[in-house]
Amino acid sequence: METLNRRAAFRLAGLSALGAALAACAPDAAGGGAPKGDAAARTFGFTSWSLNEEAQKAAVQAIVDAYAAKGGVKIDTASFPYNEYLNQVTLKLRGGQLSGAVQLDISWLAALAAMGRLKDLGAQAAKGGYTDVALSSGRFQGRQLGLPWTTGSIGLVANTEILKKAGVEGMPATVEEFEDALRKVAKLGGGITPYAAATKAAQLKDILPWMRTFGSPLLEGDTITVGDDASVAAVEWYKKLYDAKLIAPDVDRFDARALFAQGKAAFYDDAIITRGVVAAQSPDKSLTGKMAPLARPVLKAGDTPQALLWGHVIVVVEGEGSDAAADFASYATSDTATVAAFFEKVKLPPTTTAGLADPKVAGDTFTTEWTEKITKTATPNPFWRYAGYAQIETAIAEQVQAVLVGQSSAKDALAKAAETAKPLQK
Amino acid sequence: MNRRLTDGQFAWLLMVPGLALFLAIIAYPLVSALVTGFFEQSLVRPGRAFVGLANYADLLGGDFWPVLRNTLVFTLGATIAPFVIGYALALALNAGLPGWLRGVFLFPWVIPGVVVSFLWLWIFNANYGVLNGLLGTHVSWLGDPTTAMIAVIVTKTWASFPWMMVMLLAGLQTMPKELHEAASVDGAGAIRRFRSVTVPHMRAIAGIAFLLEFIWNFQHFDTIYVLTGGGPAGATKTFAVAVYDTAFKGFDLGHATALGGLWMLLLLVLMAFYLRKENA
Repeated sequence: METLNRRAAFRLAGLSALGAALAACAPDAAGGGAPKGDAAARTFGFTSWSLNEEAQKAAVQAIVDAYAAKGGVKIDTASFPYNEYLNQVTLKLRGGQLSGAVQLDISWLAALAAMGRLKDLGAQAAKGGYTDVALSSGRFQGRQLGLPWTTGSIGLVANTEILKKAGVEGMPATVEEFEDALRKVAKLGGGITPYAAATKAAQLKDILPWMRTFGSPLLEGDTITVGDDASVAAVEWYKKLYDAKLIAPDVDRFDARALFAQGKAAFYDDAIITRGVVAAQSPDKSLTGKMAPLARPVLKAGDTPQALLWGHVIVVVEGEGSDAAADFASYATSDTATVAAFFEKVKLPPTTTAGLADPKVAGDTFTTEWTEKITKTATPNPFWRYAGYAQIETAIAEQVQAVLVGQSSAKDALAKAAETAKPLQK
Repeated sequence: MNRRLTDGQFAWLLMVPGLALFLAIIAYPLVSALVTGFFEQSLVRPGRAFVGLANYADLLGGDFWPVLRNTLVFTLGATIAPFVIGYALALALNAGLPGWLRGVFLFPWVIPGVVVSFLWLWIFNANYGVLNGLLGTHVSWLGDPTTAMIAVIVTKTWASFPWMMVMLLAGLQTMPKELHEAASVDGAGAIRRFRSVTVPHMRAIAGIAFLLEFIWNFQHFDTIYVLTGGGPAGATKTFAVAVYDTAFKGFDLGHATALGGLWMLLLLVLMAFYLRKENA
C-alpha cells in the first residue's frame, strides 16, 4: 500500500514537472530578441541564392574570396534555391540561425524588416555613391536596411531570329500587335512556344504588369483593386492566349529560360540577368546576339509601358560579425572595380554612379537598350509594402491559375483573390 | 535508513532519458503548435493575439474540406495502387519468379523521394517531357487538375510498391506449403486456393501493411510538393502541402497550426485503427 502511494506520488510529481516544463516552453511569439554574438567578430556568414545558380555562382564566389583575402576575414557561405529562399531565410532568421550579410530580392525586404533584426546601413549607404532609385530599393520605413547590389527591371525579351522567320516586322508595341505576332510565331510549328509566359502558380505574379497594362492600379491607397474591370480583362486575355496555345501550360521562370535557351520560345519575361542565364544554358552560342529587350506592349498607343522594378540588395543581420558583414556589403555593392567586374561576368547592372559610368557597363548595348526600353518606366509592385506581400501575390496567382485551367471565371476568381488578400495587408 | 528503490521507482528512473527526449522533440513542438492554433500569429511579425477558435472556424468554413478531399484521394490512390501491384509481384516471386528480380523491383524504393519526384517531373513536363515525347501528345500532365492528381499518385506508386511487395512476400513465405498441397489434393484450383488459403493467411499482414502505407500517405509531402506544389489551382493540395504553404509561404502560423491540429486528430483516428489491428 505504501509502495503504491509513493508510486502515485512519484507519478504525480513527474506529471507536474512535465506540465511545468510544457508551460515553461509554451511558444514565445516575440520572434525578436536582442542581437546575439560579437558584432566586431571577423567571421560572418553570407547567404545568397546566386551561389546556387550556375550562371552566377563563380562571379559571386570571386567577390567573397577577394573580400576575405583583402579584409582578413572568414566568410561562411550558404545558399538556397531562389524559389525556397525567402522561406529558408525567414525561418533561419526567426530561429536565430542567420547572421552576417544576406542577399535579398528587393520585394522581400518588408518581410525580413518586419522581424526587426536587420542592421541600419545608413552610414555605408551615405558613402557608397549609389543612385537615388537604387537606394530607395533598400529603404524600409525610412531606414536604409539594404545596400543595392543591382537595380533593374523585369520585362519582355524576344528572340529576333524566330520573329524574323515568322514574318514579324519590328517589335510589337500594342497588345493587339503582340497577339498578332504570337499568332504568326505559332504558325511556325516545330514545338515553338510563342510566349513562354508564367503559368505555374510560383511565377504567375508575372501577370501583375499585364493587369496594369490593361489599366488596373492593383492598389489604390490601401484598397486592392484586383477584380476591377481592367484586371478581369487582363486575365481573360491571358486565358485567351492559354486556350489558343500561344502561351504554354506548366511554365515557371526556369522552364521559360530553358525553352528560350533552346530556341523554343519567341518571347518570355525575365530580368536583365536573362542574357547571362540564356548564354549559360543555350547550345546556340550566337543566341545572345539574337536577343532583344522590348517595352511591354501597351493597350493603346501613347500608354506607358509597364515593367516591374527588380533588383537585389544586401542586408546585414544584427549580431555576430555584423560590422565586417556591413563592410563586405558595401564592398560588394559599391567598389567600382568589383561591380564592373561583376557586371562583365553576369551582366547585372551596378547601382552606383561610378559603376554605371564604367566603360564596361556604359558601353554595353544590351544593357543600355534594356534600361531605355524597360527600366525607364519600371515601378515597384505596390504590394511590396506589406510584409505579407508574398501571400497576397500567391492568392492572386492561385486564382489566376484557376482561371487558366477552367475552374473559375476571371471575375469570380479575382474577386476571391481580393477577398483573400484583404486581411493580409499588414 | 538504507532504503531500496521499488520496482516502480526503478522503472521511472529508467524512463527518464526517454522522457526527456520525448519532452524535447515531441511534447514541446506538439504543445507549442496546439497552443499557437488559438492565436493570430505571424512567422515574421513579433507578438500574437488570442483568437480562441477563430482559426479553426476559418478553416472549417473554407479550405479544410477541399484539402481533406484531396488528401483522401491521394492517400487512397497511393495506397491501393502499390498494394495491388506489390501483392501481384509478391505472389509472382513466391510462385517461382527468379530471385534477382526482387532486387530489380526494389530499385525505386532505394532512390530518395525527392530524386524520384524530380525524375517524374521531367517525365511529366508538358513542354519537354518524356511521356509526351513517347506518346506524341502535348498534355499538361501536371498543369491540368484532372491529370495532376493521377500523375502524383503514379509517382508515389512507383516509389512505394517495392516496400509493399517485400512486406507481402515475407507474409507469403511464412505460409506452410502443406496448406496449398492439401487444397490441391482436395481439387482446389489456383483461384480457389488464393481465395481460401492465401487471402485468409495474409489478412493480418496485408491489413497492417495497407494501414501503415495509408497513414504514411496521409502525411506525405515531398512527391506532391516537388511535382505540383499543391497545384494547379489547389487540385493536389493535401494537408502536408497546405500546412507548409500556410506556415512558410503565407507566414500564418495561427492557421497553419490549427490546420495541423485538425490533421493530427484525423491521424489519431488512423493510429487507433492501427493499434487495434496490431493488438488483435
